[in-house]
Amino acid sequence: MAELYIFGQIIGAKNFRKKSLFCKWGIHVGSGWQLLEGLKEGQTQVDHPGYDEVTYWSHPIDIHFATKGIPGWPKIHLQIFHYDEFGRSEVCGYGYIFVPTSPGTHLIVCPTWKPHGKFYDKFTEYFIGGGPQLRSPEIIFSGADRFRLNTEPTGSVILELNVIQKNFQKYGVETY
Amino acid sequence: MAGFLISVIGEIESADFPGYDNIYCKYCFTCGTDWDITSGLEEGISQVAKRSDNGDELFIWNFPIEISFKGTNPHGWPQLILSVFGLDVFGNDVVRGYGVCHVPMTAGKWKKSIPMFVPESSSFLQKITSWLTGRRPEFIDLRVLAQGEGREVTQVRSQGKVYINFNVMTKDFVSQGLDNSQHSNQMIQDLSQLYNSLTLY
Repeated sequence: MAELYIFGQIIGAKNFRKKSLFCKWGIHVGSGWQLLEGLKEGQTQVDHPGYDEVTYWSHPIDIHFATKGIPGWPKIHLQIFHYDEFGRSEVCGYGYIFVPTSPGTHLIVCPTWKPHGKFYDKFTEYFIGGGPQLRSPEIIFSGADRFRLNTEPTGSVILELNVIQKNFQKYGVETY
Repeated sequence: MAGFLISVIGEIESADFPGYDNIYCKYCFTCGTDWDITSGLEEGISQVAKRSDNGDELFIWNFPIEISFKGTNPHGWPQLILSVFGLDVFGNDVVRGYGVCHVPMTAGKWKKSIPMFVPESSSFLQKITSWLTGRRPEFIDLRVLAQGEGREVTQVRSQGKVYINFNVMTKDFVSQGLDNSQHSNQMIQDLSQLYNSLTLY
């Protein structure tokens, strides 16, 4: 079986309107993929930027997969939350990226979005906080059920991913 | 199983820490269970640097790093953990920032800027007592920084950056069937430019 090593960092986020953010991440693969080592999901610390407008998490990722085929190539999905002064957290953005298919170091900027509601939702969001959120996180990385959603852009997440491939050449798969 | 080698030479070049005057830097490397350090120093402490008074206001350490790793499995790739300390007004040693990055994967010259952050006190009262006693929140085990687990409860404040130059050589990756080359249409040069542009925000 061919093997794929992914390691790197969720470096941080920029252009979000709110500060004090944290991120829940997870990696989704198809059924032909097997997780050999490493964590499949996690949550970063909460960062209060004191230096510039960018939020930094420096959250490490290190995963090792074995696969029988290309279908179901790994995707990393992200949920950004705002942590407010009362200890509540509310959704600030959703996004996903495909793990790059070529080996090497990749700096990736993932744009994010969040659902936006009608006038009433805007009104309550302004005064109480919260706002509409996805019931199932699968919509973040699937294209099947998106057509009913109204969304607005929120910001970008910056990731550094290093990809090492093993035995892809041996099976005749050209990745670059 | 025969392993592969990576050899890293470089320097902890400088730091940008607005608001502080005299700081020094500790580094240590950490790696997974399938890795060993074959030569070089795993840890080190730099001199205490003063902020330069010409325009850029950087702290210059120019501190050498020389280390080689042998691994049998790329999982658990080596990471560099930095912690920056300085003295507060009472003369206590206080941590000014923690940072972490992976050792570059592909052979070549790399310049990285590492964002630094400090853990925050969880309440206002603790903030005051820690300021008075000089005992700020610190990480007891630095290896936590290199792990993805157990971070949910931590609150940090990011401040400052450290600039590092790496030169990396690799050996025996290809003969193990591992492809760690840089093939995307972004060349390494562009990538380091991207890193630098990240610092401009």
